[in-house]
Amino acid sequence: MAISDVKEYTHLTEDEVEQIGRELDAIRAEVEESRGAADAAYINRLIKIQRALAAAGRVTLLAGTRSRRTRKPAWVAGAALLGLAKILENMEIGHNVMHGQWDWMNDPEIHSSNWEWDTAQPAEQWKHSHNYIHHQFTNVLGYDNDIGYGILRMAREQKWHPYYLGQPVYNSLLAALFQWGVALHDLDLERIRKGEKDPKEMKRQLRQILRKGRNQVLKDYVVYPALSGRHWRTTMTAAATANLARNLWSYVIIFCGHFPDGAMHFTEEELENETRAEWYLRQILGAANFEGGPLLHILSGNLGFQIEHHLFPDLPSNRYAEIAVRVRALCDKYDLPYTVGPLHRQYGQALRTIVKLSLPNHLTRSDEPQPPERPETADRPVRDRRRRSDDERPPRRVELGAWTRSPRERSHD
Amino acid sequence: MDAAPRLFAELPRDAELQVPVPFACGTPTYPESHDGSGPSVRALDSRRVTQCALSRVCGVCGAGLGRPLAFLGSQEEADQNAFHFPASHLECALGLRVALAGLATPVLGQPGPVDDWTLLTAAAFEFVRPGSTDLDPRPTFQPVQSRSTSAGRGPS
Repeated sequence: MAISDVKEYTHLTEDEVEQIGRELDAIRAEVEESRGAADAAYINRLIKIQRALAAAGRVTLLAGTRSRRTRKPAWVAGAALLGLAKILENMEIGHNVMHGQWDWMNDPEIHSSNWEWDTAQPAEQWKHSHNYIHHQFTNVLGYDNDIGYGILRMAREQKWHPYYLGQPVYNSLLAALFQWGVALHDLDLERIRKGEKDPKEMKRQLRQILRKGRNQVLKDYVVYPALSGRHWRTTMTAAATANLARNLWSYVIIFCGHFPDGAMHFTEEELENETRAEWYLRQILGAANFEGGPLLHILSGNLGFQIEHHLFPDLPSNRYAEIAVRVRALCDKYDLPYTVGPLHRQYGQALRTIVKLSLPNHLTRSDEPQPPERPETADRPVRDRRRRSDDERPPRRVELGAWTRSPRERSHD
Repeated sequence: MDAAPRLFAELPRDAELQVPVPFACGTPTYPESHDGSGPSVRALDSRRVTQCALSRVCGVCGAGLGRPLAFLGSQEEADQNAFHFPASHLECALGLRVALAGLATPVLGQPGPVDDWTLLTAAAFEFVRPGSTDLDPRPTFQPVQSRSTSAGRGPS
């Protein structure tokens, strides 16, 4: 369902909304005040582990494939180690470093400006399509390109077309080839097709994608297999399996963030004159968490705390678990929905939405609670929900920021 | 990512002031886009400012940031550690400072003419969005862990 007025949907007064904003500001301030050596040690340790896993996987494949006796176990172990390394690098390290979560450490390597990750999409394009477009216009129909990635119909407000009958197939292909789908995400194929894309920028982005994709293919499917000598095929298939595992895992985690029942979509009316506190509310209503132990959360880049990530995208991910306790208490206090469930249920609901919305609305029924009736908008014509260019995206007047940082951290001496 | 980054020398010129128009000023204000008016160096485009902050791109040329980050603004902004112009490449900020030196009119969204542009470098920044009751409704860039400062009309 798409919400056009968050306050009305949640039945909160303006004062209550502002009070929620102040309480979330306070949470942010406390985390910023307390981040320090332990957090830095966490990310440094994780990067060491990830690199050790990647090295172990490569060495296992290089050495273990030489003997017939060890070839199969080496393939299994190598693919598993490499897959784990890629998952960790993409989810808990790359995604979060590029959000600037660790910039405060002043580390020349672990910095949003220069981190390049082990996947096909160039970091620069990810920082635009994800950090800006998705986090700025979260779940707003026609603005947030992550709603269906341009190929899936994920909200009942999106107009149905016979093309969507193939949605379960497109979804399977997207999952298996996720890194390549993400690589093309910022190109905005729909706007290219309509001739709305700046040709100069399109060519520049294509060159970036081709260069990055070529390097990824060379590394996984040429250089390391070549180093394996006549057993190159074993190394190549292990790398392909690791990439497939990473693709499937990252796809599941990302789809669990915004598409389970309870995660709301919004219309552009909600963006107009949105206050910072209302922006907080939109993040809470538009995201969904999943439950799990510490290992599951690390492997998912702490995106099981998707609500907290959207509230505080540039706070260190290792702090989301403690933040979640307080955010959930705040939601309980104000009777706000806080969408959470086990991973299998959250993904099952997303999958059900994909299948359901492959059909026209009159053949299915919504699984979401209905918003309050708004007589003044009920008869309005369907809005234009095509993808917007940057020039067409409105500025958000006020929203989350670091205005509550401690004086110590504001110091630049 | 609709506007391609441009080299400093290739930035569009302000028709009135004949100075380069940086990326952060480069588009008309929503929703009055495509109204035929050319880019102006006088005001910041709030969409571009937010894009620069979240996408981590240079406020002058629009390309990905590196280290150190440079912040260009008035002495008052430096004193408050709150710049309105986005983080930039050092070379881009130096070039813009030279181009804007001596202008007797407000530019880059400043409330008045800036006699001495201040350039500050840092490793990181916080993008601080205004609250609903703030007098200045614009976000600011607040450098963290800066490494050096220099002030003046331009490099000697």
